[in-house]
This record gives sequence, C-alpha cells and structure tokens, in this order.
Amino acid sequence: MSGEPLPLNPEPLAVDPILDNAPCGFLTFGDDGVVQLANATFLEMLGYGSDEVVGHHIERLMPVGSRIFYQTHWFPLLRLHGEAEEIFLMLRGKSGEQVGVLVNASARAAAGGSRRVYDCVFMHVRERQKYEQELLSARKKADLANLELERQAVELRDANGKLEAQALELEMQQQQLEEQAVVLEETSEELRVINEDLLARTEEAEQLRDTAEAANRAKSTFLAIMSHELRTPLNAIAGYVQLMEMGIHGPVTAAQEEALSRISRSQRHLLRLINDVLDLARIESGRVEYLLEAVDVAEMVTAVSPMIEPQLAKKHITFTTSVPKGVMVRVDREKVQQILLNLLGNSVKFTPDGGTVSVHAASHPDGSNFALISVEDTGIGIPPHKLGGVFEAFVQVDDGHNRANEGSGLGLAISRDLARGMGGDLTAESVLGKGSTFTVHLPIANGD
Amino acid sequence: MTPDIIRRNNVRISGRGSQPMMFAHGFGCDQNMWRLVAPAFEQDYKIVLFDYVGSGRSDLDSYDAARYSDLRGYAQDVLEICRALDLQNVIFVSHSVSSMVAVLAAIEEPERFERLVLIGPSPRYINDPPYVGGFEREDIDGLLEMMDKNYVGWANFLGPAIMKNDARPELAAELTESFCSTDPVIARRFAEATFFADNRNDLRNVSVPALILQCSDDLIAPDAVGEFVHREMQGSTFRKMAATGHCPHMSHPEETIEAMKEYLQPTDVG
Repeated sequence: MSGEPLPLNPEPLAVDPILDNAPCGFLTFGDDGVVQLANATFLEMLGYGSDEVVGHHIERLMPVGSRIFYQTHWFPLLRLHGEAEEIFLMLRGKSGEQVGVLVNASARAAAGGSRRVYDCVFMHVRERQKYEQELLSARKKADLANLELERQAVELRDANGKLEAQALELEMQQQQLEEQAVVLEETSEELRVINEDLLARTEEAEQLRDTAEAANRAKSTFLAIMSHELRTPLNAIAGYVQLMEMGIHGPVTAAQEEALSRISRSQRHLLRLINDVLDLARIESGRVEYLLEAVDVAEMVTAVSPMIEPQLAKKHITFTTSVPKGVMVRVDREKVQQILLNLLGNSVKFTPDGGTVSVHAASHPDGSNFALISVEDTGIGIPPHKLGGVFEAFVQVDDGHNRANEGSGLGLAISRDLARGMGGDLTAESVLGKGSTFTVHLPIANGD
Repeated sequence: MTPDIIRRNNVRISGRGSQPMMFAHGFGCDQNMWRLVAPAFEQDYKIVLFDYVGSGRSDLDSYDAARYSDLRGYAQDVLEICRALDLQNVIFVSHSVSSMVAVLAAIEEPERFERLVLIGPSPRYINDPPYVGGFEREDIDGLLEMMDKNYVGWANFLGPAIMKNDARPELAAELTESFCSTDPVIARRFAEATFFADNRNDLRNVSVPALILQCSDDLIAPDAVGEFVHREMQGSTFRKMAATGHCPHMSHPEETIEAMKEYLQPTDVG
C-alpha cells in the first residue's frame, strides 16, 4: 500500500483573509472526500462551524441523493476530467434545510504523491434555481407532450390502417352487392319472362275455356234443334203405323201386324232417346225453368209409385217405402217426380227377378238443411271405380249390360242436373253384386 | 457481426499478456474510470475495456430501451463481446452495478470466466427489511433530480472545446473524449435499471471464484451489503479496503491494484 491516508482531523489550513470573506463559498477536499479547508462564506452559507466541516467527509454536507450523485458522477468527473464547472448540487444546511449551489471545481496534485485535492467554488442559487426549475419542468412537459404526440401519431397510424382496411372491406362488400344485384336483375328478368309466359298461358287457357264453352253451347243448341227436327218425322211414323194398325188402308195380316208392332216399339224407343237428349240439351244450355214450391216428399213418392208397378209385378220385385209424412221441400214437383221415376226405373231395370227396391226419406240428416230421398235396390251394383262416372252423359256402367238394359244413358245425368238446378244434388253408393243406393238431396222448405 | 459489437460497445484492447482482463465500468461513468488501474496489468494481461451502450463513446443508435431496462441486457452485451473476441479464462473486473452484470454473465456462461473482481458490489440498493440496501426510493428520486438539473446545465457544457485543458497535460489523453453519457433519457433508464434491481437470489448461483473489494465508509455499498454478497457467493474472498468512498479505483488506485494483484497471484506462492 502506498501513500498515507489523511488524518481524520488534519491541522486546519490557514485561510487567506481575502478568500475567507470572498462573496462565494470556497472549499478544498481530497481523494478520500475529506474536507481540508472551508472559507467563512461557505460555512455561513450552510450554518456550520469550521470544526463541523473541516476534517469531515464532504458527503456529510449532502442529502442522500446528492451523495450518490457525488459518487457516481461528480467525483469521477473531477478525478478523471480534472475539472467540473457549473455542477448543481443540493447541500444540506446545519438545520437540515436544502441549499442549492452551483459548484465550479478543479483538481490539483497534492503535495508529495499521486493524490489530488479539489478546490471548489460554491455559489448559492436561489432565483436562478427557480428559473432552472421552471425550465426543467417545461422541458419535461415538452418531453411528455412529445411522447404523447408520438403515441398519438402511432394511434393515428393504427386508426388510419384500420380505416383503410375497413374501406377495402367496404369496397369488397360493395362489389359483392353489385354482383348480387346483377344476379338479382337476371333472376328478376327470368321471373318477368316466366310471369309473361304464365299470363300468356292463362290468356290461352281462358280462350280455350271460352272456346270450349262456346263449343258446348253450340252442341246444346245443335242437339235441341236436331231433337226437334227428329221428333217431327217420328211422330209422323207413329201416326201412320197407328192408321195401318187400325186397318184404314186395308186388312192387316198377322205378319204385318207383327211388323207394325215392331215399328211402333222402335219408334217409341227412338222418341224416348230423342226426348232425353232434348232434355239434357235444354238443361245444359240453361233453358230449363224451375217452378219452386213447398212440396211434401211423401206426396211425390206416392204419386210416382203406381207408374212402376207394372214393371215391378213383371219381375216379381218387392217394393217398399218408408217415408215420413210432412217432410216439406222447396222444389219443382214435376222435376222431382221425373228424378224419382228415373231412379226407380233404373233400380227395377238392374234388379234381378225377385229382388227388392225400397224408398226411404229423411229430413235434416247430420243437422244439414236438406231432405234425403233414397232409392235402394238389390241389383247388380256398380264397381267403385265407375261409380263417379254414372252421372256422365251417354255412360252406362257395364257395356255388357247395354243390350239387355236398353236406355239412352242420359237418365242419371239429367236427374243430377235437375237436382242441382233446384239447389240440391244426386249421389250414389253401391256394392258390386249387392245393390245400389241413389240419394236425392233436396232443400228443406223453411216456413213456406 | 463482430465489428458491430466492437463498435457498439467501443471495445478497446491493449496489454501484452494473453489472459484477458476485462473491465466493466459502473453507472455514471465509462471505461475511462479504469485509467488509473488498468495500466498496472498491461504487462501480464490482455486488457479489454468497453463502454455500455448509452455510456461513453458507445453507439447510441444501438440503444434498445427494452433490452437495457434490465441488467440482463447489459450482461448479454458482456457475453457478446466475449464471444466476438473469443475470450476465455477471463478475469472480469467490475465496479458497482457492473458487479451484478458480472454475476448474471457468470451464471450464464461460467466456463468463460476464471475470476471475478467485484468492487463495491450491491445486489439491491433499496432497503427491504430486514435487508439493508442503504437507500429508500425517495433517495433515488433525489439522485434523478440532481441528474436532471445537471443535464440542463451540461447541455452546452460538455462539448469538446471545453474539454481542453492545457494546464493539466497528465489528463490530456481523456480530455478529447466525452466523459459521461450526455443523453439524459438513457442515463435515467440506466439509473433505474441499476438502483431498482434485485439480484440477491442470483448470487448463490455463481460458481466462478470472486474477490469482493469493500471500501470503508461506502455510502452506496455499505459493509453489511458487501458481507451479504460474500455470504451468498460460494468461494468468494472478502477484502475490506482502507480506501473510503465508492470509487477506490479512482480515489485509491494503488490500494486497489495491490488488492487485485494479491488475489490473482498463483495460490501455490505462500
């Protein structure tokens, strides 16, 4: 180890009187930090006595922050740089008050060795410190503002980036929407074409319907006229046959009588066919008038029954009626009787010898406002798939029965048209081989 | 890569020896602080001096606030310099805060270091009862305030023109160089990284032998702190110096050199 450490309390160096009272603090300390000399102005500045400073470490005059600054900055600067000017130091006065000073210090070699001593001049800063403080705080504020500006700039850049991304997205969405609009327009055009097509077809259908209706009316008119034209010569045939049978044109042989009888039967058959056709044509062309009145159902059944008695007797068919009295319907009496006669005729026609035909009547079935008259037989019946067709004009259920059961095939069609024309209906039920039931639905007469 | 690190940390190599002796400066200064000690070892060692980024003549453009807000960033710098120069068996001499940089570097690459010389080490400056570091947070605020005020004053002061000092030729060598960091923001961050660090738990993980140089009356690293470091570091040697203050390598270079040499001499010499 070289060099001797300074004694803790060395002999105080003599201070020149001029220096002692100079208008600034003066102090000398060594490498070890021990104060070797302090002038009166310095001691006065801090309120210490000479013996409280000289011989003691200079750190003793400083608050802790200043001590660290001394060790980390000021001393290394002084030691290596040789001088340090205008260093601000916070010192601590005897009564603990903080005293801000500006220090100029320079190093010089101590007598006899590598050690150095440092001469320091202290100026008490008061006003200056205030301005410096303001400067410092202004600078800090500026730094903070700058940081804030940078932060905001970053934020703005981010926000701008986001906005650009959003703009891009919006543009893409717009493009998508435009594409969709094009698709929609195309679809719309397709729909418009389809709609036009539909309208055209509807018009076409209406035209077809009009044409069909016109054709139907023409058919009805044609049939009405033709029927009338056909009946006239038939009546002539009937008249002349009757005259010949009466022997007005000379005696009639048995063979001739037989021929005349056949001519007469054929004439009646033909006339009946023509009458049916005429009826149907009239009904379909809407030229039938209905004389509606309140009529007792039983009365009508009673009126019709005798008219089929000869056929019933001929085939030994049992006929029963079960019709309550006083069931009043509002109908055209003649038309209902025509319907009943037709139904009874059919039943008898399609019921084998020894079968049964019966008539029932009921009012308000199932709470409806109708009366029902049913004609039931034990006939051949109608297969289910053909039941719907029995009311069509010119239809008979089984072609095979055509010859055996001659008829125009118009009876049921006419009957249903008549029933409907009075606000009623005609329906059929049947079990093949067991029999059929035809039911006329007629509106109840309310308080007539 | 290598030239970048050399330039970044202003690395200076001298000496005639082959074993590297690397000096790491403390907070508030730069490699110039070793001017009174390093030459004594030039005969036997390869002397490696450097400045931490943000200090001395380091490359300020390399300053990375995140990296250097923690002492680990500085330890990375040390290891990068060692790798760049392929330094082995390093005698690492550190002052003050650099002692903890040395600790972190020695834990990460123990094989690279032969000995550590820790001058005034402190693993934690702030009191944490019952641990006594020596400071309260407010004390550090006082330091930061002092630094702020002097940077205001120094802004136009530490220019090269003022550095000339013809009257003191023995100091001329360093007068042309800037001394302390002139960037107040960086200095403030270094101060915070230094004084708010806590490396107490790292000490016991150091396997490299270390010399602890403890000054007398050291305000920044009191005796109790040096003794704590000695207790925690296995195989460490504790030496109390007559030198007072916190910078014996500047205030008492002779004693510092002697203590180092005594520690580094071969052990088989009685």
